[in-house]
Amino acid sequence: MIQKKVCLIGTSAVGKTSLIARFVSSIFQDKYLTTVGVKIDKKNVVVEGREMTLVIWDLAGDDDFQRLNLSYLRGSGGLLFVADGTRQITLDQVLEIQSRVVGAVGSLPCLLALNKADLKACWEIADEKITDLRAAGWRVLSTSAKLGTGVEEAFGELGRLMLPPIT
Amino acid sequence: MPAPPLSPSPAVAVLEALGYGLFVRDAADGQLRTISQPPAWLAQLWPALDAPGSVLPVADASPFLENFLLDAAACWAAAGEQRLSSGPWVERDPQGGESELEATALTLPNAGGAVLLIQRLGEEFTDRKSVLQKSRENVLINQRLNTELQKKDILLHCIAEDMSAALGNVITSLRLIELEQEPAKIRRLLDLAALATQEQQSLVAHVLDAFADEIRCLYGGSASDSRRSACDVATVAQETVAALEARFREKRVRFNFPTPTPASARVAINREHLERILTNLLENALDAARVGGGVALRWKVETDTVLVEIEDSGRVLPPETSERLFSRFALASSGAANAETRLHFCRIAVENCHGEIGYEPRADEAGGVYTGNIFWFRLPKSPALVSR
Ligand SMILES: Nc1nc2c(ncn2[C@@H]2O[C@H](COP(=O)(O)OP(=O)(O)OP(=O)(O)O)[C@@H](O)[C@H]2O)c(=O)[nH]1
Ligand SMILES: [Mg+2]
Repeated sequence: MIQKKVCLIGTSAVGKTSLIARFVSSIFQDKYLTTVGVKIDKKNVVVEGREMTLVIWDLAGDDDFQRLNLSYLRGSGGLLFVADGTRQITLDQVLEIQSRVVGAVGSLPCLLALNKADLKACWEIADEKITDLRAAGWRVLSTSAKLGTGVEEAFGELGRLMLPPIT
Repeated sequence: MPAPPLSPSPAVAVLEALGYGLFVRDAADGQLRTISQPPAWLAQLWPALDAPGSVLPVADASPFLENFLLDAAACWAAAGEQRLSSGPWVERDPQGGESELEATALTLPNAGGAVLLIQRLGEEFTDRKSVLQKSRENVLINQRLNTELQKKDILLHCIAEDMSAALGNVITSLRLIELEQEPAKIRRLLDLAALATQEQQSLVAHVLDAFADEIRCLYGGSASDSRRSACDVATVAQETVAALEARFREKRVRFNFPTPTPASARVAINREHLERILTNLLENALDAARVGGGVALRWKVETDTVLVEIEDSGRVLPPETSERLFSRFALASSGAANAETRLHFCRIAVENCHGEIGYEPRADEAGGVYTGNIFWFRLPKSPALVSR
């Protein structure tokens, strides 16, 4: 069976852990419990009719208190970058992290999830910004770990991007 | 030649008592082996570790360790004095329990060479976590405050603009009076100036009201208060509409009340707040309606709630605006500071009473073309009504 490592990358409190909890266990919690270190989950998915095991690495948020350890990314098949749509700054931060990541592991299949889509009333990311990101080659999805919207789609899309060609 | 075994000395016992598992790399096959009986927690995590000399299962057992050992190998190859730490990670045992661990690779030439320590993290780690937790929560609070301040700046800017526009009109009129000889024209200019002054005054009153209400709502009227108070939608609606009648007539906007008037509908909200919500939404509808157009107000009693809708025939809001309508600064960039303070207040007041508020464009009969706007809110019925 195909097995692929996926890392979730972004600054703290954007919802990396919540997206994984929603995707793997269909749960969501409002209380913020920061991730210190790494936690790995697995989930089997079927992508375009082919079975695949996603080995999902939940990494601690990269911020002033703790930097992302780039060696955790080794062997990744794909990366899910996450920003919090209600905090524009987290988008700037994840783009900065991404440049460090590309320097370390090269370019891999990746997606950018703008999370907390359920909080549209507090949304800070302008539609033009998203258009610009797409024009720059980003695949951008909006997700809500709280409601579940876009979550299956995000992991499914990443799965598709990582699917090896049929030999 | 196999490495000489690390003697299971008191040193090892001390390490294990401190929560470390100890592995030495076997030079013959490159496997990491325990040198004494592995501590119980290690055996629980990886049941294969059941006797001295058992091999640390890596490949399938722990993707994290598997990855770390690649870095560790480089560290051992360098055979220097440096130590490499894996950083903390969470490992799940076959029963689903979780342990927080951290691994360290180091080289001890006198004690078997390549050594791997796996530590089960204890109290200091809990402390480290809670410091990080607090720090990150503080960053969030700080960011939220900053955004709030920025938004307040924008709002103040909008208010100042609105006021200075009205003031501009006054000044222009006064300048023109200076040049004018004809009494009738002077009279007219004075009227214009007076009108502009009134406009400015009502704007100031509006801003003050909105803030006062908001503060009352946030600090004074707790949710439990509002649950205790109740009022009738029909009565409050009639009074609110009557108060706005002159302004509707002035703009030649028709007002449609539901006919026949629906039965009374008591909702769990304090009367002043409902009045204010209705006034705000009706004023917005009036601003949006075309001259000669129409505004309608209606309500519907549902199982546990009452749904109130205010409909206008004005220009349909673009979707990017409508999604963020109720945020305080949604319309700030379009200069509609007034409308937005009103909507934001409505949202706070409705949500404080456990209600919801929303917007949708009004579709024509065929449902194809949008021909206006509908603002709606839903409030819980007053408890007396629900239990009956
Ligand atoms: N409303 C809403 N809240 C969310 C959503 N996703 C996450 N949250 C909340 O945001 C906070 C942070 O979520 P986490 O999943 O812990 O964020 P993280 O990126 O893993 O944070 P670190 O581990 O500190 O890097 C929590 O309070 C979550 O409840 C979402 O889609 N909608
Ligand atoms: Mg996390």
